[in-house]
Amino acid sequence: MADTDEAAAHLPASQDSAPQIETDLSDETQDFRFLNNLAFPSDSSQTSLPRRGEKDFEPNPTNYQADILDASRHAMHNALSHPRLHHPKHRVIAYYAPDGPAPPPAIDVTEEKDEKETATNDNNEHNLTKERSPETGTGISVPEDSCVYVPNPKGQYFKSMGRADRWNRVWLLPEEALYLIERGSLDIRWPVSVTGPTAEEGEEDLGIPMSLQAAYACFTGRGGLSVERFSVYTGLRRLGYTVIRAPGWDDESDEVQDEDSAPQQGLGIFGRFLHWLHNWNKSTGITTTGPVVGLGLHRSYNDIYRKLAIIPYHDPVTRQSPRRKTTPPFRVVFHVYKPSTVFRKSAPPTPDFRIAVVNSRTQTTMPTQAQLGALLESTPLDPPRGEKMDRMMYMRLRHGYRNVILAVVDQGVVSFLRIGDAAFGKEKVYAEKPPGPKKGGFRPRPKK
Amino acid sequence: MDTDPALPIPISYISGSYYLFSIDAVTYLRREHHICGVLIGTLPQIPQQNVFLAMPLQLMPEEARLLVDKGVACIVDEVKAHKDGMTSIMEEDRKRYLQDLEAEGLQAMRLQNRRKEQLREEALKNLDAKKAAKASKKAAQKQDNAAGDDFALELFAGGEQAQDAGPQRPTPSETAMAVTPSTSYPPMPSRPTSDQILPSPEVPSSYPLFAHLHTKGYFLSPGLRFGCQYLAYPGDPLRFHSHFLVVSAEWDEEINLMDIIAGGRLGTGVKKGFLVGGAEQTGPGSEDSVRMFSVEWAGM
Repeated sequence: MADTDEAAAHLPASQDSAPQIETDLSDETQDFRFLNNLAFPSDSSQTSLPRRGEKDFEPNPTNYQADILDASRHAMHNALSHPRLHHPKHRVIAYYAPDGPAPPPAIDVTEEKDEKETATNDNNEHNLTKERSPETGTGISVPEDSCVYVPNPKGQYFKSMGRADRWNRVWLLPEEALYLIERGSLDIRWPVSVTGPTAEEGEEDLGIPMSLQAAYACFTGRGGLSVERFSVYTGLRRLGYTVIRAPGWDDESDEVQDEDSAPQQGLGIFGRFLHWLHNWNKSTGITTTGPVVGLGLHRSYNDIYRKLAIIPYHDPVTRQSPRRKTTPPFRVVFHVYKPSTVFRKSAPPTPDFRIAVVNSRTQTTMPTQAQLGALLESTPLDPPRGEKMDRMMYMRLRHGYRNVILAVVDQGVVSFLRIGDAAFGKEKVYAEKPPGPKKGGFRPRPKK
Repeated sequence: MDTDPALPIPISYISGSYYLFSIDAVTYLRREHHICGVLIGTLPQIPQQNVFLAMPLQLMPEEARLLVDKGVACIVDEVKAHKDGMTSIMEEDRKRYLQDLEAEGLQAMRLQNRRKEQLREEALKNLDAKKAAKASKKAAQKQDNAAGDDFALELFAGGEQAQDAGPQRPTPSETAMAVTPSTSYPPMPSRPTSDQILPSPEVPSSYPLFAHLHTKGYFLSPGLRFGCQYLAYPGDPLRFHSHFLVVSAEWDEEINLMDIIAGGRLGTGVKKGFLVGGAEQTGPGSEDSVRMFSVEWAGM
């Protein structure tokens, strides 16, 4: 394996001219001239992306180079000055509610009074409870952090975003509203209460449209939404993933993972130690006084190897108790679903990925083993399964028994790292048949 | 494109980060001051991709500080500005603003309709070429329809005779598109008041190195993707690959040899130099005390 890794590492260097398939286009700034073919206003059909362009090595004082640079900058300017337009047919109007979820103003007076009171009470205990109880303000549990409502929701986005209240208005969380306004799919209006006196009746009851700048000013920093978290959210959304907040979003609440999925009940560190001591005594004899393997009849190498395995190893399957508490930022804040996963807002399935967001400017060091361990323990057991995994040991090791994704954000640049809890101790290499050239691909299942 | 925005350019400070929302400011700072920032917004034309991103532009604290030190920009507390600004908009300003937006939306609608017409024409022209036999019959139809072209077409088509074919569609409705503007100025007053101005941004200890490289003409961007602090580009990143992976160190800091080896190896792997540097603490006022070293993997 080491050899093939080496070979792979050398490959790109030796074949410089060959196009590198795995190059990620978003790794570096791309030349905006490639967007030129997207004329104003673009067609929705024209969504193919340009290829990676050739760049120059260093500036030289030629007009030729200056012209190309000018053209690039011009293309960038054009692309970025494209306005966010809403065709009357597809336009979705939303309203900003600076004070969080509240019932509509035009309902029965007595009822309104009651609910206004509860609503203000709830707002006072801001952030303490994430989900409001069903009786209060907006009826069905609308997350407390919601701050934009859509009276007339239409379009595909609301399949995976927002929560409807009793009056059929869909409430959006700050990141959802910001994402939608940014991609030009939502027309958010300032509430009349903020922008001052109402205009003449009927003429303009919509309020002033909210600018992108205003949306950033109002939504980032609200309800735990840092710009780092938003960058991760919007980046994944753009790629088609469905992203929702995980229970660990708020600093107070740790993600509570039901451990039903863990097949073995935890023994605890002490219990495990006793268990190991017990086995060790039984199987290997006393190493301080005699040979490790001990005397006796040894009929197979496997028995000897098993007796040689005297060093305890980390088994991800056995649960540690008590569970360590995760420390922010090493805590799952997003649940992510692949585009192919069937997603229902009301009953989100088990997430495909769990993501913790780290700001590289405030967290400049690698997480400690304790931090990582606690983070991994907060995720459910996800052992490597399937025919392929059974066959290939390195895939098993890479997959691990628990996994989590760290999204490290450096001033708007996001890098994703997958952390897996690999169980090297569980892979009995001696039990594997060596992959002989003529023996075919079959290998016995390793003993657990 | 070459419009210069009024100085100092307001940089929006929102919950710990620095942003630019005006495209003119972005273009100007890139052209004149080699400040690129990172685009973090979704491009509304093609929203489902991460290669080309759009406004807003996020600035590193170092970049914001550099611009403030140069006197090109000032930091505005955007949350406060919006709180103050939105409540104090005059009724007339509000009306005028909404009218302006509507005019813009109307213009956009006309442009789009015109483009649709053009596309339709092109498609039909292709069809015509295929159905050469029916050409004469079509031509007669065109004559009829040219008279019925709507206002928008005549306005934008200039002198050329619009050639329309096929059955006449109902005139596209003249309702304006709704517009989501990029910035909040207007309707808010374009100059921030003095109590909305914030002091210079706090910067990490790598700032002297950053500023030094910037004065040498390098374009700098965050370097996490390549495992360093900054990427140094010899020219605009639109047209050039970066040359250096930049890591800052304190003047008397003991650098782990392994870090230098790792950095050199990493840089060589992506065809860049590994650059480590720092500033000597010589007291305030003295400049150019930054030393830099570039490490390359020598293939012995």
